[in-house]
Amino acid sequence: MIGLDLGSTAAKMVWIESGEIKFRITPAHNWKELVEGIDGDEIISTGYFRNSVPHRASLTELTAAVYGVRHYFPDAEVIVDIGGQDTKVIDVRNNNFIINDKCSAGTGAFLEFVANYFRIGLEELGPMHLNARRIPDINNTCGVFALSEMISQLVGGYSKEEVIAGMHYAFARRISHMVPEARSIVLIGGTVKNEGMVAALRNILEKEVLIPDEPQIINALGALEYYS
Amino acid sequence: MNKIGITALVPPELIFACGAAPFDVNNVIPASRKYPGNKLCAWTAIWKEMLIKKEITVDSLIVVAGGDCHNALVDGQKAAMSGIPTHFFFYPFDGDLEYLESQLHRLSGFLGGIRSPEVLKKIQELKKQGQMLDKKRCRGKLSSAEAFRILISFSDLTGDLAGFSRAISALEEKDIDVRNRVALIGVPPIYHDFHEVAQTLGLHIVFDELPYEFIRHGGCDIKEMARDYCGYTFAMPLESRIDFLKKELRKRKVDAVIHYTQFACHHMLEDEVLREKLDYPLLTIQGDLPGNTPQQIKLRLEAFREMLDRL
Repeated sequence: MIGLDLGSTAAKMVWIESGEIKFRITPAHNWKELVEGIDGDEIISTGYFRNSVPHRASLTELTAAVYGVRHYFPDAEVIVDIGGQDTKVIDVRNNNFIINDKCSAGTGAFLEFVANYFRIGLEELGPMHLNARRIPDINNTCGVFALSEMISQLVGGYSKEEVIAGMHYAFARRISHMVPEARSIVLIGGTVKNEGMVAALRNILEKEVLIPDEPQIINALGALEYYS
Repeated sequence: MNKIGITALVPPELIFACGAAPFDVNNVIPASRKYPGNKLCAWTAIWKEMLIKKEITVDSLIVVAGGDCHNALVDGQKAAMSGIPTHFFFYPFDGDLEYLESQLHRLSGFLGGIRSPEVLKKIQELKKQGQMLDKKRCRGKLSSAEAFRILISFSDLTGDLAGFSRAISALEEKDIDVRNRVALIGVPPIYHDFHEVAQTLGLHIVFDELPYEFIRHGGCDIKEMARDYCGYTFAMPLESRIDFLKKELRKRKVDAVIHYTQFACHHMLEDEVLREKLDYPLLTIQGDLPGNTPQQIKLRLEAFREMLDRL
């Protein structure tokens, strides 16, 4: 049996081999390669395109996140899942959830936008943030307008690294409005691999921030655990 | 028979009694696929635009501008400026009976006075049938989509009492597996297939807050109507509305609540209070433009059902 998370930007597959969690990740458009030779009856699917793939069972990524996070943090209170096209905040204590899928600010798409502007890879944003000496204020809550603010800060003398850090803080502030009072939060999703982003979130949220080893595969794992 | 546009709940019995046919301008919107230019709330913006462009034709218009929809006050004036004879109707916030009675007399005057008082009894009978349908839906004897389609039409009784009565009689009883009993509160969703979608995703709507208001008020003269419509919860202080909701939700044994909010509607501001005061799992969704229920809303509904299954 495999857990398959077909998200908007990446496809993630998880299976258990000799008690160990194994996984593979590919860009969303290559998802067919992941499941080549696997019978639909062996697939528990989740994610935005969960119903586009043959499956034995499917569940939403919100439920999958709860099961996946429980594997690593059984007492998790709040989960923040930062995906490519949306951000979901799940309050596990009272089964409440909020989704931001109307505005790109506060989603992975926004960071992709920033990386594209600087003509760098997404994975470079984190290390560059860590080299910033100052953090400029970027206040705009709209992703598109934040870009013009970012350009103003560059013209005003801030370095590329500092402006990227400022963008991460703007992003973190946007997400913080969705997060309820809690002792700790668990961060999952591909964007959490960005250490600059995580640093900004830790600073803004002022809560214990827990991150599983492979934050991007949690929903695929959750799909598998849900069915097991 | 003059066709009288109404923008929210206006006692339809009074309009019929004055020899005219009410036409709820909201009822064409979910299937309209209209995307208005200058808008806050799409409901009011679309009926305003359709009235001005004469895509909805009415002989005159009654705008509920006090005690319910605040955007209607401005959009109603824009429609009036296009030449449609318009009357503005105000509910009292404090339940002032005399005030509502005077409003109903003014409305009756605008419509030329009561000419057919005999229809009042007939409409009361129809509303009793509406209440029966509502109960049947609650017992799983009617699908929530079919019940909603009829109940929402009680705002104007489709302007045709005989035809509407036939539509009610044509409904057939069914046996529906009611698992997750959900109350839908707030303004009605702007998506035309919302109840079907909810049902498909395993959520059975057993209570529609606003349509329930359409069937529970009435009266055989203006005094009675004033007494009854004074309890129109959308016009009352929020605490009274919440007390009423608590009673209805308990009575219907609901498992959960969906609060539908409309983009740029002041009712959105009530969400945090409703969340705090109603002790049920509560999903808030926000709609904007009409059409099919979007995928993002479906995701929320499905996740909500999965959450209810886990409880």
